[in-house]
Amino acid sequence: MMSGRALVSRFAALLACVGLLLIWQFAALMLDTDSFPTPWEAIRAIPSILGDKESLINILASLRRMAIGFGVAVAVSIPLGLMMGRSRAVASFFNPLLMVTYPVPKAALMPIIMLWLGVGDLAKMLVIFLGVSLPVIFHSFEGAKAIEEKMLWSGAAMGLSAAQRMLRIVLPAALPEILTGCRTGLVLALITMVTSEMIARQSGAGNILFNAMDMGQYDTVYAMIIIIGAMGIGLDAAFERLRARLVKWSEPGFDIPLSFA
Amino acid sequence: MSARAVWTDILLGIVPIALLVGLWQAIASFGYAPPALLPPPGVVFMRLAHQLTTGTFQGDIAATLFRLFAGFSIAVILGVSIGLAAAASPGINAVVRPIVRVLAPLPKVALYPALLLLLGFGHESKITLVAADALFPILLATYYGATMVEQKLIWSAMAAGTPRRQILFKVVLPAAVPSILTGCRIGLVISCIVVFLAEMITSTDGLGHELVAAARTFRAVDMFVPLITISLLGLILNGLLQGLRSYLLRGFPEV
Repeated sequence: MMSGRALVSRFAALLACVGLLLIWQFAALMLDTDSFPTPWEAIRAIPSILGDKESLINILASLRRMAIGFGVAVAVSIPLGLMMGRSRAVASFFNPLLMVTYPVPKAALMPIIMLWLGVGDLAKMLVIFLGVSLPVIFHSFEGAKAIEEKMLWSGAAMGLSAAQRMLRIVLPAALPEILTGCRTGLVLALITMVTSEMIARQSGAGNILFNAMDMGQYDTVYAMIIIIGAMGIGLDAAFERLRARLVKWSEPGFDIPLSFA
Repeated sequence: MSARAVWTDILLGIVPIALLVGLWQAIASFGYAPPALLPPPGVVFMRLAHQLTTGTFQGDIAATLFRLFAGFSIAVILGVSIGLAAAASPGINAVVRPIVRVLAPLPKVALYPALLLLLGFGHESKITLVAADALFPILLATYYGATMVEQKLIWSAMAAGTPRRQILFKVVLPAAVPSILTGCRIGLVISCIVVFLAEMITSTDGLGHELVAAARTFRAVDMFVPLITISLLGLILNGLLQGLRSYLLRGFPEV
């Protein structure tokens, strides 16, 4: 019984995928319109997209922009968030600014940034950077704020300098929370990537998706949706693996990401 | 926290925003950027004040707010009920959990073309997208809030004679409210972002459409106006939610 159950829970996500595809299949058969193909037709269009050299380069370019934007954002946001969590002055300095910029859709800055930087990679990476930084800053902030003061006192008593305390005590203690933020940021990076390419129609996965939409190639539209969705799920699962390894010691908190936008 | 500390906080917080506006003004007035690329802040805020009095811009704000609220409300209703149901019944949990696991990390904006094809270019597709995006944070926050309810509270309620069916609404739901409200706050920010994006992609009205229309004709001033408006709307809505939170949680120990 137990092994059967473990097996089911192991493949539950896969079953869910199959279930969703079945629902899609039924809906497509019921509606029976050109603009809503069955999942099988969409899946069949995937190899021709991935096999096409140009679209493959486009998709890889998208991923590269996303990786750079995400990496830079994480590298900047974690130290900032940790400092905000440990110093009241830093927190009250940055908090209102972040509050004001939070509800602004970062991809909506795209047209303005394009005026300054052109339609190239830089504008898109900057937008991804902006989109990823906020959740990472907020989670690092919360994580650093929640640290027990006693640990820091003991560290200080044992002669650690402020910088060492930050690196040796605050960073590891806040790590689970930081990684939750990074996970949200990862999903956000993907979303911002798609939207930025949709606004600056030049290259990338978002461009393929919306061009196919404009040209009425509906099976390509749905195939791209599947590809982008699979990227999201795949990246998220990979990150969850990494997270589980890094913070084996911590209580599993939210085991499903609070995905943004 | 003393009143003085609060004032120091507020003053410190104004500094970076003032610096940013100052830098903006400096770049514009010293001629580093032509006004066509970066109009001076004074011009932008004057334009915003002027626009807020015109009927078309008010109509745009109304359209955006309508879509935002419609989507957000659907997300709250579905999210709270599915979250509670999943926390209460193991059977529902077994079905909901893997589906959420697959759908939560999916970039919903990629579904927008499909929604457009299925639901048309009107309100429906945008509202659905907003609801789909805001749903998951609310659902997950509700679920975790409801599963974290202290068992003792449920036992006490049962000992006091509360029927099993009512425990969900009389004990679990109120105890999960702080967590639900946190989820709603994230959902609200997301709704602001998504409604704007959806309007940017295809729309004939709304703040997002204003931005795109301005970008197409290179009216830089008008590009900043909707962005500032959505930021202000987000702040106001967040403030309202915060007010609702402190009203709903007036009996809770710490908020």
